[in-house]
Amino acid sequence: MVRALILTGFGINCEEEFAAAYRMAGAEPTIVHLNQVLHGQVSIHDFDTLNFPGGFSFGDDLGSGVVLANKLRYRQTGANGRTLLDDIKQFIADGKFVLGICNGFQVLVKLGLLPNLSGEMTPEVTLTHNASGRYEDRWVTLRVNPKSHTPFLKGIDTLEVPVRHGEGRLVISDAAIQQRIETGGFNCLSYLDASGDGTDIYPFNPNGAALNCAGLTDPTGQVFGLMPHPEAFLSAYNHPDWARRRRQNPSATEEGEGLQIFKNIVEHIAHTRTAVASVTEFAIQK
Amino acid sequence: MNKPHIMLPTDYTATLGQLLGSLNICSRESVIRQYDHEVKGRTIVKPLMGATGQAPQDAAVVRFNFESWEGVAVSNGILPRYGDLDAYHMSAGSFDEAVRQIIAVGGKLPNLTPGDGLFWSVNDNFCVPDSVYDPVSNPDGKQKLAKLVRMCEALRDATTAYCIPLTSGKDSMKNDFKADGVKISVPPTVLYSMTAKMEDVRRAITSDFKQADDVVYLLGETYDELGGSEFYALHGELGANVPKVDFGKAKALYTLVGQANDQNLIQSCHDLSDGGLAVALAECTFGYHCGASIDLPETGLTLPAQLFSESHSRFLATVAPEDVVAFEALLGSRATRLGTVTKDVRLVVRLGGHEVISADTDVLRSVWTNGPVNRLLGVASKENLSHSNSL
Repeated sequence: MVRALILTGFGINCEEEFAAAYRMAGAEPTIVHLNQVLHGQVSIHDFDTLNFPGGFSFGDDLGSGVVLANKLRYRQTGANGRTLLDDIKQFIADGKFVLGICNGFQVLVKLGLLPNLSGEMTPEVTLTHNASGRYEDRWVTLRVNPKSHTPFLKGIDTLEVPVRHGEGRLVISDAAIQQRIETGGFNCLSYLDASGDGTDIYPFNPNGAALNCAGLTDPTGQVFGLMPHPEAFLSAYNHPDWARRRRQNPSATEEGEGLQIFKNIVEHIAHTRTAVASVTEFAIQK
Repeated sequence: MNKPHIMLPTDYTATLGQLLGSLNICSRESVIRQYDHEVKGRTIVKPLMGATGQAPQDAAVVRFNFESWEGVAVSNGILPRYGDLDAYHMSAGSFDEAVRQIIAVGGKLPNLTPGDGLFWSVNDNFCVPDSVYDPVSNPDGKQKLAKLVRMCEALRDATTAYCIPLTSGKDSMKNDFKADGVKISVPPTVLYSMTAKMEDVRRAITSDFKQADDVVYLLGETYDELGGSEFYALHGELGANVPKVDFGKAKALYTLVGQANDQNLIQSCHDLSDGGLAVALAECTFGYHCGASIDLPETGLTLPAQLFSESHSRFLATVAPEDVVAFEALLGSRATRLGTVTKDVRLVVRLGGHEVISADTDVLRSVWTNGPVNRLLGVASKENLSHSNSL
């Protein structure tokens, strides 16, 4: 069974649908208060994926995701000076996966886990106030960057999802960093206009993000974050136009498009594990 | 109070545009989008729906959890202007508005059969002036108290007629403002917030027209009830003929609509409220690029009453061509066939063969979207620019 750890507490409010997504994808989700991890009662190493849901952690004070990121970076989880960031480094080095959605994505960016071109986990880009100057809940269409190789997005071309944020505008101040992000295809998701092209035009691009970028991966593809909410489109009936679409195609799947991301990662982990197991078995037989 | 003498419009298309752009009818999209109405991932009917994401809905529908399709519909009824005409009918009408919004999205009246498991509840929010008589500070206190009594009598009549229990309320009873020797008291007002269990949220009905050639029906009856209407307000008048609820007829219609939904006969349903039939027709075209071709019946009502009367307990519904026979057999005289949904993006309304409204529905949507709320509180959208690209 693939095990997913989903953090909550301090204003995180999308943990239930995050857990439902993993459950529907065949994994075993566990929702845990951040303090249980920080106080050493729960170890992230007992899980296959570490997940940062959306919400407004610490009231978005000092900027969305900033306080939570600093807590992960600086708060010592034991007497030995170890921080949760140290554990996350180990977690990623072990080949495991980290997913951040909305506020969770903001945490990963402020923490330097994304895009993490240097491998040093220091912030290289930022997410700031939408160009519109306001929080918005609206549906957008995304395209997966064909250069991206993260298992989360395998086989997906386009995706409709809601955005619900006030600070989702990606800003990349360093041209060299932008160049490396583009070259590596780490800008894995872009906002599309009606003709299917990446766009900086509001409201199709809801926040004015650089590279029309809605999500990032790190160079390994194991860490993935995005502003929109795939976990809010687990059912076809979440879409604003579901009634007309189902009239036109009554036999269409009742699954929402957002679920595929979770099915992808669960399948990838299960498949990798089976492959490893069969190699081991082969070695023993030999 | 009397019926006002107003200069009748010569161009009802222009009147419709004025209504769509008026403060009580225009789009609240900028406000709606600044509120997270999808958190928890269980929202099935949102305030704005359709391929455009701009078709206004009558009630919200939310699933309880991810394991079943049961859910709840949530609606609100409030009619402050009617309180200036008649406190009883203001209260009765507000209650009916909240009930019919839930019926419109596919809810069913409770307690028609024992043990139906359809839980409904109402919260009342009274907002009234100080009703304690004082010869100096509140000389019309007795009249205000009488209005409060009438509001409560309407509430008694409504809850018993529909068999819907009151579970709670939060009332504000001293809404008077004094400054510089002037006292202003609010008109008697009440907001009814209603919740109703839905057995299967997948059976919810949204307000927007779905497909060309679907047949458009007006359900319920229209009366000469322009009192307190948005149409009169455009002309600076209040009028006298406040809309009155006939609970017996309303309940019979809501029961039929529930039966029609059980048989999957209804493709879209929108309750008629502010701005009457004309505004509802326009709003139903906002979800997707479509129009409607409508022929008003000869009923003896004046044209303004047919188009803009806010008579209660009415719906605008569409039915697929193959379901027309079954639908008309079920609804009988309660349904009036008005016309069809068209691919052509025009709303055309005729009376006696003469066009009385003819407008591009994208332009109507633009007028509605660029109304005072979005202009004041948000970025007014560019003309005809869709807010979603799923079109």
